[in-house]
Amino acid sequence: MEFTLLWAALTGVGLALLMAKWEMRLGLIPEKTGSLSDLLLGAAVTSLICGRLAAMIIAGTNPITHPGDILIVRSGVDTGFASLGALAFVWLTSRRQLAGTIDALGPAAMAGLAGWHAGCLYRGACLGTASSWPWAVAQEGSNVPRHPVEIYAALLFLAAALVLLWWRRRGVRAMGAIGATALVLAGAVRFVTEPMRPSLGSGPVGWYLAAIAIGLIGIFAARARSRSALQ
Amino acid sequence: MPTRRPIAALAVLLVFLTSCTAQQSQTVGPPLPDTNAAEVVALLEASSQPVVINVWASWCIPCRSEAPLIERANEQFGDDIRFIGINVADTQSGARQFIAEFGLSFENLFDAPRTVPAALGGSGVPVTFFFAPGGSLVHYQPGVIDERTLALQIDELLKRHEDS
Repeated sequence: MEFTLLWAALTGVGLALLMAKWEMRLGLIPEKTGSLSDLLLGAAVTSLICGRLAAMIIAGTNPITHPGDILIVRSGVDTGFASLGALAFVWLTSRRQLAGTIDALGPAAMAGLAGWHAGCLYRGACLGTASSWPWAVAQEGSNVPRHPVEIYAALLFLAAALVLLWWRRRGVRAMGAIGATALVLAGAVRFVTEPMRPSLGSGPVGWYLAAIAIGLIGIFAARARSRSALQ
Repeated sequence: MPTRRPIAALAVLLVFLTSCTAQQSQTVGPPLPDTNAAEVVALLEASSQPVVINVWASWCIPCRSEAPLIERANEQFGDDIRFIGINVADTQSGARQFIAEFGLSFENLFDAPRTVPAALGGSGVPVTFFFAPGGSLVHYQPGVIDERTLALQIDELLKRHEDS
């Protein structure tokens, strides 16, 4: 039994909680610490369950007749349905203050994704396609240098978290714009790094593009609402 | 309770979706050829192609998840890499039903006494071995294999084969 995937998940959740605490220390989150932590953990668990169930159904395995398969997370989690699960959880639990909540969660979610991708170090799963770039790394016993693609993703997500935090500190009038930008950045980071990931197909590129499109619509909607509120 | 209704709707949808998964064809094929450690080692040594060996059993839960991946890899890279399934600690009928359920088209061999994985340096089920031509071990994946690892190790085999 190996627990490397669990360690990667815990690193992701841990970094997300740390970022949320940092936001609170900076006075950017009015809610109580507990409620945001619960929201982050609930979203992470819902996302995992939805993504795993979707991956099983798509592969033709019925979760009701094979419930044990649900626990074999390593066999696949559908990125798109996992993201939808997390968004649905946040929407269901904070409908009355959705825009403010997703803004508060934006930097924490980016930090969490950075932690999850950096978790490749535990799993020995950081490497991607072959590369001749100077920092490319070969796996043990090999002379084929490869992109450390998951480290690229972790660094990009960390940068996104810090940019969003800086933006929140500057103060944004358009409520929901930061949350929507986080969605755009999440889709963009995965989209940019996807060609460097070995895959048996083309990867869930459609989901990444959908995230970017929905995020952009969210940004325009938030700005339009903010403008109409000012008039 | 306003939040209960969407949760209930979601639960109903989930039950509906899981009830609607496609019925797999259950046509059971011919018996699997018997094999043993010596035969598989000889096969690897004589191979001019890279070889991926996946050790599985019909009772193994993670094997159900990785079988479609190995099949997809075989469809995609079967011309350049030889994919072999070794069914261990199982019955012929269980193995044949599993192959029919997942529509596995790659070569599968029957090793009820489980001699092959130990001879190749592995244990447990599932296990996946990646061999260069001539039988030198490139990678050993204990436990269930995910798509990224499978794709990466296949790429590694092909790159090494191109360079040699």
